[in-house]
Parts: sequence; C-alpha cells; structure tokens
Amino acid sequence: MIDFMLPSLGADMDLAKLNCWLVKPGDTVHRGQIIAEVETDKAVLEVECWDEGVVEELVVSPGPTRIPVGTLLARIRPIEGAQAPPGAKEPAVEESASVLGPARPAARQEVQSPPVRHLAHQLGVDLARVTGTGPVGEITREDVHRAVATVTGEGQRVKASPLARRLASETSLDLSGVPGSGVAGMVTASDVRAAEQSVPVRPAAGPEPSEPEGRAETMRRAIARSMAHSKREIPHYYLANHVDLDRAFRWLTAQNEERPISGRILPAALLLKATALALRETPDLNGHWVDEGFRPSDAIHLGVAVSLREGGLVAPAIHDADRLSLDEMMARLRDLVNRARSWRLRSSEMSDPTITVTNLGERGVETAFPVIIPPQVAIVGFGKVVDMPVAVDGQPAVHPVVHATLAGDHRVTDGHRGGLLLDALDRLLQEPESL
Amino acid sequence: MNKEQARQIIFEVLGEIAPEVDPAAVDDSSDLTEQLDLDSMDYLNWMLGINQATGVEIPQRDVSRFLTIDGAVDYLVDHSG
Repeated sequence: MIDFMLPSLGADMDLAKLNCWLVKPGDTVHRGQIIAEVETDKAVLEVECWDEGVVEELVVSPGPTRIPVGTLLARIRPIEGAQAPPGAKEPAVEESASVLGPARPAARQEVQSPPVRHLAHQLGVDLARVTGTGPVGEITREDVHRAVATVTGEGQRVKASPLARRLASETSLDLSGVPGSGVAGMVTASDVRAAEQSVPVRPAAGPEPSEPEGRAETMRRAIARSMAHSKREIPHYYLANHVDLDRAFRWLTAQNEERPISGRILPAALLLKATALALRETPDLNGHWVDEGFRPSDAIHLGVAVSLREGGLVAPAIHDADRLSLDEMMARLRDLVNRARSWRLRSSEMSDPTITVTNLGERGVETAFPVIIPPQVAIVGFGKVVDMPVAVDGQPAVHPVVHATLAGDHRVTDGHRGGLLLDALDRLLQEPESL
Repeated sequence: MNKEQARQIIFEVLGEIAPEVDPAAVDDSSDLTEQLDLDSMDYLNWMLGINQATGVEIPQRDVSRFLTIDGAVDYLVDHSG
C-alpha cells in the first residue's frame, strides 16, 4: 500500500487545508494526475499524485482545518508492474495544444504522457477509444481535443474563463448550465453575472469557499516569513550587468511580424530561456541549501515571480526550462501566469523551483535587487528595457539595454561564479536565433 | 462594428484581465498599460481576447495602435467588416 502524504508546498509553506478531493475510493490514479486541491497562505494548489494505483481510502476529509505537510492524506493500492521507480518524480508538463514540440524522452516511453492522461481525465475522454497520431503512435493533446468534439454528456468539462470559474465558485453556480457567449462557446465572467441574476444562488456546501477574507493579508505574512528568513540566514552578494538587446529585439520583432497574436513571443520568454541555458554553465547557482549544505539540482526548474493584481506575488516553477523551445517557453509562461493569477497552481510548481527570475522591469524600474527565496541559492532580476548609448565598433549608438542582476548565496558561490552567469546570459542574448 | 460596439468588446475583454477596472474611470486617451498597471502578458492577453471576440487580426506592426482605448476602438472600427 502506498501512503499518499501532503507534499511540500514551497518555502515556508508548512500548513494547508484540504479544499476538495478530485478522486474517490476505487478510482485509478496515474502519475502526474491532479487528485486534490489544497489551499496555503499564498495560493490554491492542485496536488499531483506521483504513483500509479487504485485509491483505497481517503484518510482526510475536506475542511477548514489546516494540516501539516507530510500528513497522510490517502492510501493507494499499487497496480502490479505499474509502480513508479522510487524517487522517479516527474513534474506534470502542461503542453499547449497549439505548440506541440517533440515529446520529452520520459513521455515517449509511455503510450500516453501524464499530461495527456490528465487532459483526457479533465475532459471526460476515454483514451482507449482515441487513436494516437504522435510520432510513435502515442495519443497527443490534439488527439484528445479532437475526441472531445465527439464526446457528449457527463464528464465533459465546461469551457470557461478563469474569472468566470472564480465567480461561479464564489456563488456555487453550476457552470454547465450557463450559456457561453465567448470564443467557441466559452463561458465568460459576464455570462456568469447574467446567470446569477436569473438563477437562485445555492448555499455553499462542503468546504468553505476557496477565497476567504484577508487572503492578501495572509499572503503578505507568508512573504514576510520567507523574506525575513532569507535576509536573516542568507549572506547575499549582488552583481549587475548591462545587456545590449538590440540583436535580440530585432530578431524577436521579425519573428513576431510573421505570427498571429496567439503565437507571439514576449521578450520575457527570451530572457527566461537565456537564463536557463546560462545556468547549465553555472550549476552551482542552481539548487537548494538543505541541512547546512548545497544540493545542486540536475534539472533547471525556473521559478518565475508573478505579481498578482490584488497584491503580493508567487514564484512557481517552469519545469526543465533549459529543455524547452522558445515557443514552448512562451506557452508555459502564459499558462503559468494565467493560472497564478486565477489561483490555480500545482503543488510541484510551488515546491520545485531551483532558482527564480524576477522581471520587475515590467513595472517600470531599471534595476532590481532581488532577495533569494530559500532554500534556493540565487535569484536573477531583469529591469526595464531602456534605450541607452552603447559603443558599437568604437562608435556610439543607441540600443535597447536591460540591466540584469544576480543575488547569490555567499555560502555556496562567490561573485566570480555569479559573474560567469551574467556573462553567459549576455553572450546567449547576442545570438537569439540559437535560443 | 461601430464605436460603441467596439468599446463594449474592449472593456468586456479587459474585465477578464483586470476585473477591478471601472470603465467609467478609464481615460480613453491615455496609455492603458500605465493607467491600469498592465504587464506585457496582460497586454498580450487583452489583444488576443479582442482578436478572438472580433476576428480582427492585429499584426505586430499595429500593436502600438492599442496603447489607448481610443486607438483600439478606432482600429476595430477600421478593420471590422
């Protein structure tokens, strides 16, 4: 029997309340499947399961009581021969249906990758009835979406915008009964508001609403805890470098000219990809400080600081960022930002970052001096892109320039190593076509 | 599409991105990203939503027309059927 515990939910996030289960006893669960929703001070998180098996027992019931990380949540009976090797955790990969890159090596070994199974589960599609069109006959997300067109009845997920879902959940409105006026019948927030005026509101049942009063205050306390810990424990050093973005922006503009809006790449994706590749050259900045020692990470899971409109921020991970194409990076970034702002993140995204990138330039400052998020050992900051005079072949020219900064943990690295990261970042951004 | 219809769609999509925004309080002629504290992802999502709602494609070279509500309204009126 496998004990399914409440997993780590990110730095200084030791408690969470269980909002709901997405499985019931007797259900088969797969690696990467989202099986529960929990809520911490900072976010509502979808909790993934990393085992294959059948749910034997749900030990904890949803409710307002906060439970510690490591609490036994459920028991899962393993399926013989299908159990994951110990420690073979694989983050859920959210591929964009419109930007399907080559299958990842780990996913290719299975007929359907966990994300595809998860998508099929969400949309109520029986994969046994779907024909795969992938390179080795595997079922792709596009296959699943195609199958949805022919699937009707229960199990099919209502298409709705994040805000519409939030509004509907606040008033316990059943979205399946709301006519959608958005793209492809998507239910929009205004549809929900219209429906609320015509449908009597049911009293909320079960767990308390996912947006309790004072979320901004509890998030602020969580940030305070984490940052106070960081400033108390971590001897920061700071480095900065101007990076000429002339070539990168010219290349990006030319790329975007040929693309529809849905396929356009933001400069942020370029900066993230360059950071991820630069980290391959400086692995001692990528990992965690645990038990008075540095544990480097083989994988580069880039935490992305996302500010929220209601205040506060979260820094969930883009997994295996160095292995993504630029299109995949953009799709992941868009997905991550949108889900962060609608409070729909996953537990692994909060616990996995091996380094964080903050892009405060979006909000108008030229230089960021970021604070390391423990237990990470470095953080990269980008300021506002400004036109500045630079020397080109001995002659002055005005180019777009970004101020790239690094805060490093002096217990792990010295300024020299940090400088190598910023140098690599600069070099990579001068060859945007190779990113 | 007339100006009123274009404005309605523009604010409908904006409401999905920045729900707290009161259309009556927005200055239609000043920079939207500064006024509403939109970042580049918000801005891209806004144009994508307008594109999906209206079918009007917005080439990269025309993105600057969407810096203000007035500019966006005029663009949609000019480019819708």
